[in-house]
Amino acid sequence: MEKGVISLAARRKREIHTAAIMFLLPVAVLMAIYIFYPIIDTFITSFYKWNGISADKSMVGFRNWAKLIADQNFWTAFKNNIVVMVLSICIQIPIGLALATLIDFGGKRMTIFKVLWFIPLLMSSVAIGFLFTYALATNGGIFSAISQLFGRGNIDLLGNPNTALFTVIGVIAWQFTPFYMVYCMAAYSNISTDVYEAAIIDGANKGQYFRKIAFPLLTPSLKSAAILSMVGSLKYFDLVYVMTNGGPGTSTELMATYMYKQSFVKFNMGYGSAVAGGMFILITVVSLLTMKLLNRDRGRE
Amino acid sequence: MKKRVKKIAGLLMAATMVVSLAAGCGAGTESDSAETTSGEKTSGDGKEIVFWNIGTEEVDKAIYDKAIDLYNSTTDSGYTVTSVPTQNDTYKEKLIIAMSSGECPDMYLSWSGGPMNEYIKSGYAQPITDLFNKSELPDRLMDAAIAQAKYKDDIYAVPFMNVSLSGIYYNKDLFAEHGLEVPKTIGELEKVCDTFVENGITPFALANSTKWTGSMYFMNLAARKGGLEPFNDAVAGTGTFEDESFIYAGEKIAEWTEKGYFPEGVNSLSEDDGQARQLLYQEKAAMDLIGSWYTGLIQQDSEEFYEKMGWFPFPALEGSDADPSIMIGTIGDNFISFNCKDEKLAAAFDCATKFSEEEIVDFMVESGKTPPIKGIEKKITDPISKLVVEAANSASATQLWYDQYLPPAVAQVHLDTSQELFGLTMKPDEAAKQMQEAMKEYLEESAE
Repeated sequence: MEKGVISLAARRKREIHTAAIMFLLPVAVLMAIYIFYPIIDTFITSFYKWNGISADKSMVGFRNWAKLIADQNFWTAFKNNIVVMVLSICIQIPIGLALATLIDFGGKRMTIFKVLWFIPLLMSSVAIGFLFTYALATNGGIFSAISQLFGRGNIDLLGNPNTALFTVIGVIAWQFTPFYMVYCMAAYSNISTDVYEAAIIDGANKGQYFRKIAFPLLTPSLKSAAILSMVGSLKYFDLVYVMTNGGPGTSTELMATYMYKQSFVKFNMGYGSAVAGGMFILITVVSLLTMKLLNRDRGRE
Repeated sequence: MKKRVKKIAGLLMAATMVVSLAAGCGAGTESDSAETTSGEKTSGDGKEIVFWNIGTEEVDKAIYDKAIDLYNSTTDSGYTVTSVPTQNDTYKEKLIIAMSSGECPDMYLSWSGGPMNEYIKSGYAQPITDLFNKSELPDRLMDAAIAQAKYKDDIYAVPFMNVSLSGIYYNKDLFAEHGLEVPKTIGELEKVCDTFVENGITPFALANSTKWTGSMYFMNLAARKGGLEPFNDAVAGTGTFEDESFIYAGEKIAEWTEKGYFPEGVNSLSEDDGQARQLLYQEKAAMDLIGSWYTGLIQQDSEEFYEKMGWFPFPALEGSDADPSIMIGTIGDNFISFNCKDEKLAAAFDCATKFSEEEIVDFMVESGKTPPIKGIEKKITDPISKLVVEAANSASATQLWYDQYLPPAVAQVHLDTSQELFGLTMKPDEAAKQMQEAMKEYLEESAE
């Protein structure tokens, strides 16, 4: 009797296992072909000198990697990525949270803003890039026009190496803030109305409710938002490619645009792969470090 | 326990994120096979010749169609040519990706220079010297065009579309208004510029976020200072990019930028978006040093404004021995290379010769092109195009654009450094040094 029960449970367990494998298989195969194999091959390619088209590649050992470590342009690009990362987290998430809070507190009246503020996220990056290139144009752009209204000269934001990166970061923030707004709205909807009502009955005002109740409850979501933003910033490519293509000079060069140029413009596929590999390693390290930091915080609580 | 599960889940999620982004990078090298299987075919089976080109829009599309139809309807070789047009911007990447997976088309278009040399070195372009010399092409095509289709001692391509030289378009009305004449020397050019600056007009309409636009100033200045030897020597490794003619070019650019010869925010303006032409049309700028394809562009934008345009070649430098007839540009612009053998190669080559057949040439001229054909000046009526052809014919030598001629890795450094010269963020000697380092590195690597 007892034996039969155990074997039934075991069978059930086995069936679940089989089902799980069956369901996971298609994704696993796709991931293996389109994600894991390319990563491995990127690392393999990074040990070759290859122009990207010829049939013969020559093995050069760690030379591409040695070059990468000594390559100032790559480290400039990495530094730019870090600037993008830090500012993205500091700009996008707080504004996103603020907008979400406004919408959450505002109720039905805010529905129109919910839609309006979401629009930038619906546009393709390339379209946004072109849009802002025109808007920011030194001659005839919006900022220059406003400045001329006050009798001043044109404003050159994208052509000036000191301002170009920050300008691009501003545009990135315009594009992605709505994402964090929606993210925070979802987090808000997870807070039960009971909690809100209880707080209000206890005499809390909205400010106190936000500081003492909502914000702590939102913190885990904000942490994952920060990680998302971080990884997104480190691999960022499209807007920069469209708006400045890394220029002027190397002032807005990112690791991804640098990799693209090496691989496809300069015909250095081997070195381009080393850049991609370097990116992979750096991003993994930064991500894991951050993850560890955040988890330690959680442990303390 | 729960915490641990969460931690593992977190790590897994992070790993997926990192992995998916790396796939984005890896895609650079790896999506090639997907690209070619989903993209157009590259090599025709049996008697079909596949020809990759950029004729997606009128009038280029009509030119390709006409020439290919002419071949297909008259040939008795049994081969037919199929045209596969791709939009210009994506064409280069598509070609590289196809080649990287060994799927090079039978016939394809390039712009000669550094990238073409890479294709040749990788074995994707066949020498056609014998076929070429036996055909009528040596009599039909301009010698300068043939020279740009050569690599080492062999001919690898058939030039056909357009003669594009860099020269200065100027607004005749503005010149007359300020009592100015076409400058013959760089000194005179500077006087013209100073007059415009005093009157609140930007001398040169330049949009340099595109980088190759500013490169034209650098190339012309360097050629007027020292001719073509310094450049050829530097590329061959016997000279250096730190030669005085390159330093001179860099210094002049910096000086001109400081004197306000270029528009504000020059490095943010985009040539692709027509921001330089806009300055010309608004008469905020008086001149533009640019390739002669501007004739067609301006005519398309406004026939009326085109009437105001004049053209002169880059002026000579006082006290320099360099031959001022030297021109910078491309004699042909589009070059057809071949990746097939024997009978198929002969058939494909035959198709390429159709582009210089009289009826096609006439059609090209009607469409506003200047094909690189001997005696083309007799067919052309547009006054500026006539001047351009005259300059091409009387040039003692023609230098292909640096960014097209140099090995791609060095070309990029040239573009980047010359943009920094316009931004005053790099000193001329530093720019020269970086160029020389890049060239040296390339020469050392290719010597291995």
